[in-house]
Order: sequence, then structure tokens, then C-alpha cells
Amino acid sequence: MKEFIAILKNEIIKTIKRPRSFIGFGIIAFICLMLQSAFYHDGKEILSFVTGQLENVFNVEGKVLNGNLICFIVLQTLIVQMPLLVALVTGDLVSGETANGTIRFLLTRPASRTKIVLAKWIAGLFYTLLLLIVLGFFALFVSHWIFGDGDLMALNSEGLTIISADDIIWRWGYAFLIAFLSLSVVATLANMLSCIMDNSITPIVSVMAIIIVFTIIGMFDLPSFDLIKPFLFTTHMISWKSLFEDPIPFHDIWFSIAVLIIHIVLFISISIFYFNRKDINS
Amino acid sequence: MMKKLLSILLLFVSYQALAGVDPKLLIRDLNKKFNQVSDYKADLYMEFNLPGVKMKNLKGKVVFKKPNKFKIKAKGIFFLPKQNPMQNMSEMLIDTNSYTSIISGYETVEGKNCAIVNIIPLKAQDELILGKFWIDIKNPLVYKSQITTKNNGTIETKSIYGNQIKYALPEKIIVKLEINRIKVPKMMSVDLNKKSKPKTGIESKETGSIQLNFSNYSINANLSDAEFVD
Amino acid sequence: MIGCFFMGQLFGYKNNLSTILISLLSIILYICINYNKSMSLAIQLKNVSKHFGDFVAVNDLSFEVQQGDIYGFLGPNGSGKSTTLRMIMGLIKNTKGEINLFGKSLNLNRSNILREVGCIIEKPDFYNYLTALENLQLFARANQLNFKKTDFEQLLERVGLLGREKDKVKTYSHGMKQRLGLAQVLIHNPSLIILDEPNTGLDPQGIIDLRNLILSLNKEEGKTILFSSHILSEVQEMCTSMIVINKGKTIAQGKVAELLSHEKIHVKLEVIEVDKTIQLINQSNWKELFDKMEENVFVMNMSKDKIPALVSFLTLSGVSIERIDYRNQLEEYFLKITNQ
Repeated sequence: MKEFIAILKNEIIKTIKRPRSFIGFGIIAFICLMLQSAFYHDGKEILSFVTGQLENVFNVEGKVLNGNLICFIVLQTLIVQMPLLVALVTGDLVSGETANGTIRFLLTRPASRTKIVLAKWIAGLFYTLLLLIVLGFFALFVSHWIFGDGDLMALNSEGLTIISADDIIWRWGYAFLIAFLSLSVVATLANMLSCIMDNSITPIVSVMAIIIVFTIIGMFDLPSFDLIKPFLFTTHMISWKSLFEDPIPFHDIWFSIAVLIIHIVLFISISIFYFNRKDINS
Repeated sequence: MMKKLLSILLLFVSYQALAGVDPKLLIRDLNKKFNQVSDYKADLYMEFNLPGVKMKNLKGKVVFKKPNKFKIKAKGIFFLPKQNPMQNMSEMLIDTNSYTSIISGYETVEGKNCAIVNIIPLKAQDELILGKFWIDIKNPLVYKSQITTKNNGTIETKSIYGNQIKYALPEKIIVKLEINRIKVPKMMSVDLNKKSKPKTGIESKETGSIQLNFSNYSINANLSDAEFVD
Repeated sequence: MIGCFFMGQLFGYKNNLSTILISLLSIILYICINYNKSMSLAIQLKNVSKHFGDFVAVNDLSFEVQQGDIYGFLGPNGSGKSTTLRMIMGLIKNTKGEINLFGKSLNLNRSNILREVGCIIEKPDFYNYLTALENLQLFARANQLNFKKTDFEQLLERVGLLGREKDKVKTYSHGMKQRLGLAQVLIHNPSLIILDEPNTGLDPQGIIDLRNLILSLNKEEGKTILFSSHILSEVQEMCTSMIVINKGKTIAQGKVAELLSHEKIHVKLEVIEVDKTIQLINQSNWKELFDKMEENVFVMNMSKDKIPALVSFLTLSGVSIERIDYRNQLEEYFLKITNQ
């Protein structure tokens, strides 16, 4: 156990100190601040495509443009960027060392290959968690600081759900947990491809290609796609949004969590199996 | 269209003459009740049932001051019909010179024998097209209304009275309206886990309702204008 | 056991129980001898092969490295040296055969074995975005060492990098990276050190320093060293034993001195008095060792130890020798056997 903790500490230090790790934090901050700036200046116009449908008949009272809504919108827009930022680092954890040659040092130490893969995977999850914390800080706290508190007008394809400001903190908590689980699937997939491939770029590009293709399939309302949608992990990556419905479909959420966990277990198992058998020729 | 309306009006006038109830008198008695109230404050409980919108019921407060200051204060987001049933009704009926009133029929509402009074504005440029009020013949109070405006369509309200019946202040107002179901583009809602639904090809209006429950009225309490400021 | 039984019969031991006991003792003795032998072996490869699909990179390779040896591992480019070293370190799995280190199977005792081994395969690689000290801290942690600041300083001083530890490795020259690689190898004080062409990129002083370090590690600390190099003069200087492989197979192996003792080299003598030299050589026993002549350069095929005698003979006979040139004995030997 001591040996594993020592390796894990090494992996976390290496991951955090890599220059490219800071790219993710910078991009999240930039995107969040950019969106917040846009909503600050033109928020009402941007929202009018929804509220406009209501304003024919109703006066919409209350503070629609508030920190909770901005956070909700920011999180949705990051559905493609966040997996990329996760893959940018986690996709390089093994293949980067293989390409760089430092893998030779790692694998000629007493620690087993299984421990090394697991340590790298956990370091990747730790980085993913840090990214989410930064995202949470900018999307939630900075949005509240700029726009204030208020009820959340959650948009979904069937309409609106309005959630009271008093009833929202616990939803954000669980939403970020599910988001972490979702991004953990991406991190684990990237880690798996990183174990299989020998260069830095291919795992990252492959992860993005997989996510983009699966996301596109998920967006189309075609009966033939309905058969495969439940098995795509991207379908369940957005399940955090279900926490902002009324009533909350807990059954669907638990199903999504189960699918995501199955994907994680499958990907890490393949990683360990493959890496243990791999010849290191570089 | 106008000719049809006129012929119908003529029929109504004859019917009214036969019934023997003067709509002007009903409205006059009703307005007397409205005029007793300079201002009021009350607790409000709003219940929403709107197609495509899920929201919890909301507690708030309502304040009114003559002639036309009206505000609902509640924490959170909520929807009020563009035609405020409480404000519009009294405003519409107070100025008797701006409309013609005729009785188009009689109906029992909430156990009360009501005359259906139609209000037709005299000026074509007015926002109101037609207002229908079910007014209790014995104790003039509006139990039901149907107001059609140029920009906001038709809304139907039903009023239930309690302790403040003498001031014509309801205990409950139920507002029914027809609205299109709200549509959010999938790219904005990012719903990836919803199964596809068969498209009907027809977008029909659906009926929604808002129920306003009033309690703890405080009438003619000399409310200051500050109550109406955010 | 059978032999012991017949021996017993031969010497008249009629009691079978005694015969059996003697046989058992012999078996135990045999096992002990072999155990001691294997324990004295730092590395033992038995019939090791590695196939990459249809390509056979290493073919039935067997050799042993005794503890305390400096063992040279030679072969031309693409001969399978690197593949063999990677198999020894567990980076590549051997297709056939056994690899034992310190008498234990690598497959079954990997963790314990690797605690005692330090290596540089191909070239030392580091985390270039970290400083040298941070790299060493990672290495120490990976080896579960509780190093203090002074421990790192001692190590850096030993490899000649003290004062540069806070610089990022990406600013290091090739030679400095080689030194840092040695620090990486030595950090956990292994008893077996494997170096794959450690001289690559070193300047002449660096080569000398490395030689002195290797000799010191071996003679003063008793470490076993297996290293491959293309600087054959260094191998000949330092190694006690060696193996030469080509196309994945053993070409020659054994003690360096024994392998080279009978080997001849080409000695080139550039002289001024050409005709006189021709005459002298033809009239002496040196004629048998004469190979060819290129203008004023005489090429003799002889062992290295005879050079002083030839030079003395010619000089005393009045021949002025401008230059003596000869390839390193090992170089000659290497080229000879690998071109066969």
C-alpha cells in the first residue's frame, strides 16, 4: 500500500506540474467569463427566444437572469469543451511517457504495471476533479457574485422547469457529482487509449472523435438511434440535468449512474489487461 | 364582421328588454363596491398549471392603490397574465362612458343567478375587443369573466368570494388561458437522453391556468407609494 | 541417484538403505552446488528467444553474468542487444526461455529483483518540465526512499551535477542528462547495474569520468555491471567478461582476456626507408607476419604484444618509423566475428 501511495503521489505531482494541465484551468476561466460578460450585456435578448414565447400571454415576474441560470447555461455549453480538456491531460498520462521514454524508468521499478496504471488513472481523476472545482467556482460562485441569486428557469426540450432558489444548492451538489462521474468516464477512456497507443496525440483525438460522434447520435430524434442511445456513455453524461426537472426522475438518474460506472469499470479493466501484456519498445 | 356583431347586439337588446334587468344598474352597484376600496394589501398564494412549464406554487403579497397601482410581491420567478384580472376588471367597468353594456343571457355560476353582461368599447382603437362578465343579479359581483383583447387573446377568470365580499374582493381567482406549448431548441436544451417522440404535425394551443388565492386582506390601510417600488 | 546406486554396488555396499542414503546426499549436494552457483550469478539467460510476429529478434540466447563482474554486451546495430536488455528488465516479455536474476525467476519475483537493479536502456529520459532535483525526488519516491536534502546533494555531487539541481532538465546538455541518468540508476544503491551505451554523447572527459565511476562501483562497492558500448576500447579496458551477439544469436562469449589472447590485429607501420624495410622483413621471421604494403606503409598481421619487438628490430636496423597505427584488438576481433 505504501508503495502504491508513493507512486500515486508521484503521478499527481507530475500531472499538476505539467504545463498543459494549466491550459484546462485557463480555458474554463476564459469561457465562463466570456459567457458571463455576454449575458451581463445582452442577457435579456439572449433569453428572449424562450421568454418571448411566454411574453405574448404573460408578464414574467422575478429575476430570470440570475447566477443559477447563468451557471446552468455555462455548464451546458461546456459539454464538448470539458471532455476535451480532460482528455488533453488524461490521454497523455501513459502514451506521453511512452513517447517521452520515461515509461522505461517507471516499468523498471518494483511497482507492478497494474499499480502504475491505477495510479495514473487516479491521478487523472484527481485532475478531472480539480477542473470541475475550477468550473464550479467560475460557473456557480462567480455567476452568483455577478448576477445574484434567484430561481432557476431550467430549459429542456419539453419546456421550462422553475426551481426555487431555496431548493437548488443540494441539486448543484449532486449535479457536480454526476458531472464528475461523467467526466471520469472520459478520463478512463482516455487513459485506456493512452495505454494502447504510443503517441500523445492519437488518444486525445480519438476520445474527442468518439464523444463528438456519440453526441451527434444523441441529438438526433430518430427511432433507429433510440436503440443505441441508452448504451452510449455520452447519452448519460448530461444526466445531471435531470436533477433540475420536476419531478426528478431518480430512476433514470440511477440508471445513468450505473451505465457510467459500468463504462468506467470496463475501460479500466481493458487498460490494466492491455498494459500488463504490452511490450515496451520505445 | 361588424354587421354580424350589430345584429347579434340587437337580439341581445331585445332579450334584455324581455328579461327586465338593466345592465347599467348592475354595473353601477358593482362599481359602488369597487369604490369603497382605496387600497388593500393581502397575502397571496399562487398555483400554476401551464403547459410546458413546471413550477412550484408560490407565496407572496398583493398590494393595490387607487386608481391603478397594483403589485404582486413574491420571491422567485412567476407568471402573471398580461391582463391582470383584478386590475382590469375594475378599470374596465369604472368608466361607464367608454363602453356599451348589454345582457346576452343568464347563467347560474357558483349557485348564483348571473346575468351575462357584455361590454363593448365605444372606441375602435381601444385594446379591449369584448368583455363578458357573469354578474350576480341579487348581489352584484363578478363571478366569471371572459375578456378578449387585441394583443393578448382571450382569458377567462372565475372568482370565488369570501370574507371581503362586500368590497367585491375575491378569495380566489382562477385564470384560464390558451397558450402554445413552449419549445426550446434541442441545441439549447442539450437533451441527449430523451427518446424521440412522433411529430403530430399540428401545433395546437393548450389551456393553462393560474389560481390566485387571497387571504388576510388589509383594506384601506393608507398604503404608501413605497409599497409599489422594488 | 542411479550412478550412486551402481557405485554402491561396485564398492560392495550390499545394504540398499545405505546406497539410497548416499544417493540422497549426492542429490542434496548437487542442488546446493547449483543453488550456490545460481546465487552467485547476477544474470542468467537460458535459451531465451523473442519473436515479433515472424521476425526473430533474439534466438535461443544463453549467457551468465557472475556477481562482481563487469560484463560487456556487444553486437552490431540491430543484433538484438536492446531487445535482450529490455527482456532482462521486464519491459518486453520473452517468447521462450528463462531469465533469472540473483538466482530467482524474473517472472515470479519481479518486484524483489528490481529493487536490486538499476538501468539505463537506450538513453536516460526525464520529465523535462521538472528540475533535476524534482526528477530525483520522483525517482526516490518510486523506490520508496526517504531521502533528505543532503542525500540528494551527495548523489548529485557524485555524478558532477551539484549546483545545477534547480535547473529544469530541458535546459540540460546531453552529457548532463547522461550524468543525471547515472544518478537515477544509483539512487537506490542497486547491486546490479545495466547500462546501454552509456558513453553516447559524452565528451572525452565525460568518457573518462564514466569509466572511473564504473570501475569504482565495481571494485570498491562490489557492484555487478552489464553494459553495452560501441567504444570497444572502453569495453576492452573495463570488462572482465563479454558476449558478442549478432542477429539475435551468440557469436562469442567468455573472459575478454581469453577471447583476445590469440587474436591478431593489423599493425600499420609508416616508414621512410622503404626498400631497406622490405629487405629486413624478407630476411627475417617477420616475413610470416607480413600482410601487405601500401606505398610506404607496411601492414603486419600480428598480436599486439609483439609490436615492441618489431619496432625495436626495425629501429636498430636503421629504419625510421614515422607512424605506428593499429586498431584496438577487440575492434578487430569484433569486426572479424560479426562479419562472418
